[in-house]
Amino acid sequence: MSNWHTPDANARLKRRYGAERRFKAVGLIAILLSLGFLAFLLVTMVANGVSGINWSFLSNSDSTDAATAGVWGSLKGSLLTMGVTLALSFPMGVCAAIYLEEFAPRQRWVDWVEVSINNLAAVPSVIFGLLGLAMFINVAGMPRSSALVGGVTLALMTMPVIVIAGRNAIKAVPPSIRDAALAVGASRVQTVFHHVLPLALPGILTGTIIGMARALGETAPLLMIGMRAFIATPASGVTDPTSVLPMQIFLWSDEVDQAFVRNTSAAIIVLLVFLLAMNGLAIYLRNKFETRW
Amino acid sequence: MPASLLLLCLAGFGLIGWLTARAKAQRLNTGRGVLHSLPGHHGWHVALWIVVPALVGWVIWAIVSPGMIYAALMASPEAASLPTNPMERDSILSEAFQLAANPGSLAFNPLAENFVGVVNGINSKFNSIGTALVAIIAFCGGAFGYTKIKAKFPARTRVEFAVMAGLLIASLMAILTTVGIIATLVFETGRFFAVVSPVDFLTGLRWSPQDGTGPEVSQTYGAIPLFWGTIFIGAIIAMIVAIPLGLMGAIYLTQYASATVRRWVKPLLEILAGVPTVVYGYFAALTVAPMVRDLALALGSENPSTESALAAGVVMGVMIIPFVSSMADDSIAAVPQAMRDGSLAMGATPSETIKRVLIPAALPGIVAGVMLAVSRAIGETMIVVMAAGAAANLSANPFASMTTVTYQIVQLLTGDQEFDSPKTLSAFALGLVLFVVTLILNIIALRVVKRFREAYE
Repeated sequence: MSNWHTPDANARLKRRYGAERRFKAVGLIAILLSLGFLAFLLVTMVANGVSGINWSFLSNSDSTDAATAGVWGSLKGSLLTMGVTLALSFPMGVCAAIYLEEFAPRQRWVDWVEVSINNLAAVPSVIFGLLGLAMFINVAGMPRSSALVGGVTLALMTMPVIVIAGRNAIKAVPPSIRDAALAVGASRVQTVFHHVLPLALPGILTGTIIGMARALGETAPLLMIGMRAFIATPASGVTDPTSVLPMQIFLWSDEVDQAFVRNTSAAIIVLLVFLLAMNGLAIYLRNKFETRW
Repeated sequence: MPASLLLLCLAGFGLIGWLTARAKAQRLNTGRGVLHSLPGHHGWHVALWIVVPALVGWVIWAIVSPGMIYAALMASPEAASLPTNPMERDSILSEAFQLAANPGSLAFNPLAENFVGVVNGINSKFNSIGTALVAIIAFCGGAFGYTKIKAKFPARTRVEFAVMAGLLIASLMAILTTVGIIATLVFETGRFFAVVSPVDFLTGLRWSPQDGTGPEVSQTYGAIPLFWGTIFIGAIIAMIVAIPLGLMGAIYLTQYASATVRRWVKPLLEILAGVPTVVYGYFAALTVAPMVRDLALALGSENPSTESALAAGVVMGVMIIPFVSSMADDSIAAVPQAMRDGSLAMGATPSETIKRVLIPAALPGIVAGVMLAVSRAIGETMIVVMAAGAAANLSANPFASMTTVTYQIVQLLTGDQEFDSPKTLSAFALGLVLFVVTLILNIIALRVVKRFREAYE
């Protein structure tokens, strides 16, 4: 029998418990540092920008004068671009998810589709900008710096996100639902569109909103397709040259005039409010419609 | 007819076709089991016959008509006054098309103005032909579909076949996008390598595309400083920030924190990943960069630049934290409970269990997560554009201004440029390098994760 209470053993135990406490403290510090950085960022933006938010800032468009410049033009551009993105990526993404999850045969080319979807989700966004510049502007001749070409480029970026979310949502629908529909004589297409898709829709919508939020904050691919121009009149259609909210932030951040610091921060607050609202909606949808089978 | 109006008309025709076909099928439905398909299926069958062939015809028309318009223009009597040099002629004509599209704009070449009238006339003529063509195809398609409506006609299988084709096309879009990216990058890179040798590009130490003229052009496109800047900022500085914070954060949240704390802190950390990169970039330039500069001054550096690798790298690291942390979280959670229990039962403290058992067991997953994080960091653009600087320095000093691959892509392709200069083409070569590197990192990481999961299942 060994004696557990020698001074030597006690000292070792003390050292080990000390290491335990230190390890725990380091973990806590890591969390606090990360959250502290987030708080620092948000507080800086709010402190710099909250005084700049008023009605004229929200309803004016870009201007060379910081006092009269506003975000409406770029906000409208963002909404138009998001509209194009959603109109393309949502149907495409949902259809691709349905096909891959419900109908795709186990064949080699289906593996290629899956690999390319997973890789597209990880391709740097600036590469999509290169694609947009070379394909949509130089080859297809779409109007430069328009919401149309921006929306199409972002749609290619958003589609993999929607496909991945859609597949997970469809996979979560239990097979018994399908079996029941097939058993009463529904065709496979009817089964999917009448029963599986409605049940998977909340999950798909959550993924779509998250993908759209990412697209809304995206700047780099839009830089490539020429959305860097100074545009003082809001676009009236998807083919007009326009700016978008993140691009407006980028343009203002380059201004030498100190007054633009307030504008930039205020525009960042507007952008963050939009993103927060979208993510909040996604969380709400997930919680409200989440079904445990 | 403008495109949007044409689409609207087609949709309207489709709706009319749907309603009439369904009504006819309903009239045929005299009793139970008479019809093969539901009346709605007959409706969809006719609507598809109206819309799809018309759309296909329209797309084909949109592809072939510019050539026909051009030929008609050359055949017009006004074309005789054009210069015979084909390049000059084409520039005048393209300007005339521009003028015809936006009547308010100014002409650069006075000759172009003479052509606006001709172009307008030919355009409207071909536009009417196109519209008529689409209308005829839609009508023929609809009529064909309508004659098919019989009680025993299998409309449902036909419609479902079309639906399947649509789904298939949608899922092929992903491959098409990948192919498009690769084709674009490879094609433009090939044109770049016709001017600059690939060896000089991949091994050269001097990057200054501005002064590249004449025979030395190849020497000014040495991309090593860019690769170094990218690795230094994205793979070294950012990871020095992100790995300890992300890993320790994940360990604390999964092993020590109470369920309530976890429920609140985890979404808060996720916000870090959701903040747009342009916001991080602005924050880096506005707040972090001056702090780094002051730090450099305090450390005795003379005249440090406001744009530093450190500022960009630190902010990028913070952006990556949630990414590392969620990957670490997943791989630690995948370690079987029995291993943890065994270690604790032998008398190890929780921290010893984590350090000696959990982390070694989860290491492949963590490494894969770090690789994914690196691939994201080196592809990150806005933070380096706003905070890292344009000078291609080959130095290990974190306070020095440094440039990255993504920064140069943006720099080379924005502003006034000719599309065919080696300067713009080099951006595609850089893009190709970036694409290949991120692709390799992702493939390896995903494979490691997969094998690691299988090992514990």
